[in-house]
Amino acid sequence: MVNFHKQLQELQSFRENAEIRIETLGNFCVWRNEHKIDTKEWGRDKTVQLLQYLVSNRQRNALHKEKIMDGLWEDWNDRDFKVALHGINKTLEPERLARTEAIYILKQGVSYQIDLNKVWIDVEALEKYIIIGNETFVIDKSISKQAYKAALKLYKGTYLPNRIYEDWTSEEREKVQLLVLGAYITLAEILIKENPLESIRLAQHALAIDPTWEDAYRIQMQAYIVKGNRPQAIKTYLKCEVILEKEYGISPLPETKKLLKEIEAIS
Amino acid sequence: MTKKQEQTASFMVRFNQRIFEENGEPKVQWRGKISHVQDGDEQRFSDFNDALTFMQEKLGVLTEEATKHQTTEEQESIIDKSLSMWKTIKNVGPKVLRDTLKDPKRQFTHLQDEIQDKISTIGDEISEKVQIDQWRNASRSDFNTIQNQIESLSSQIKGLSSKIDSLKKK
Repeated sequence: MVNFHKQLQELQSFRENAEIRIETLGNFCVWRNEHKIDTKEWGRDKTVQLLQYLVSNRQRNALHKEKIMDGLWEDWNDRDFKVALHGINKTLEPERLARTEAIYILKQGVSYQIDLNKVWIDVEALEKYIIIGNETFVIDKSISKQAYKAALKLYKGTYLPNRIYEDWTSEEREKVQLLVLGAYITLAEILIKENPLESIRLAQHALAIDPTWEDAYRIQMQAYIVKGNRPQAIKTYLKCEVILEKEYGISPLPETKKLLKEIEAIS
Repeated sequence: MTKKQEQTASFMVRFNQRIFEENGEPKVQWRGKISHVQDGDEQRFSDFNDALTFMQEKLGVLTEEATKHQTTEEQESIIDKSLSMWKTIKNVGPKVLRDTLKDPKRQFTHLQDEIQDKISTIGDEISEKVQIDQWRNASRSDFNTIQNQIESLSSQIKGLSSKIDSLKKK
């Protein structure tokens, strides 16, 4: 049987021990041996862009140099790429000896990728925690809770917020957002009975990302009822009704309406 | 010359599927969100035509921007051509979506299979399946038949109404 506890520990210890850590959620920041790399150390913005592109495409197999440049810059040449790559390697490995291979950015011919066994990246860790959360959801809720909590702790905001207008970041941003929405809702559901206040807070976070996420309203309604706050539960339904009408021109799902009826029936 | 970046528009479209039962009938609802990457604008939709209109508007601005230094005549001609391309997309777009997402036969078969599974647990004797492949679209003669039946029904109703009137008079 898979040892999920061990997996969680490994993820935690990888974060603590990785020589390079990259944060992309809410802010872009790179740590080299506990030293926060200053923006000036990167030199040109193209160097940062190249690193962010490699992060965004980290799960694909080694990316061909021309594909990277096509995705990133409209007018590119080999020199741009060389300078940017050299900038990354120099910043991540300032002590590297000349004519030795870079260890964090792997090179295979003219293709490149980040070594995910050596570089800790918040979005990568977040996804792994959520996978553990999902896998243990039916077999062990305590591990599931732990995993979702760890994932959500990493979520400090949107993916690469300073690049929201760049299309090469959209796919990853959307993927992360949906993973996080799912984690907020599932964790909130798990906690409804034991900690309704926390469920309400988590659902509120989900609504901050997407105010039309109907599941979040339903969870809040249920959590308010557990807390004995019937008026607030009804108020939450009304909010849901207004936003769905405004954004989609539709009414809440029968499931949500049914919940309202049940709440109204409580004397 | 306009830069390549200024001639590019990227869209991220999210579909959220909701399957539910209402008045004993299974239903599916699509909620969507479309975002224009380059300016961050977004719009939610439950009708895909709204998403297409959103894209069309954004691309219209792009064409307008790219041609603003040309004469009014040239600009109008380019915008017209751009719009004619969109007419095709608008016609094809929802059809593609319908074919992919809402293939009625496939959906019916899927639902029927689900129902069959449930029924088979109750008893084999009531689990006879109607073959959806035997279905066909209504033909012109079907419509004619329906029309004739409606006409005959309405004349019968007229007859009945006049009988009722005469009875009332009595």
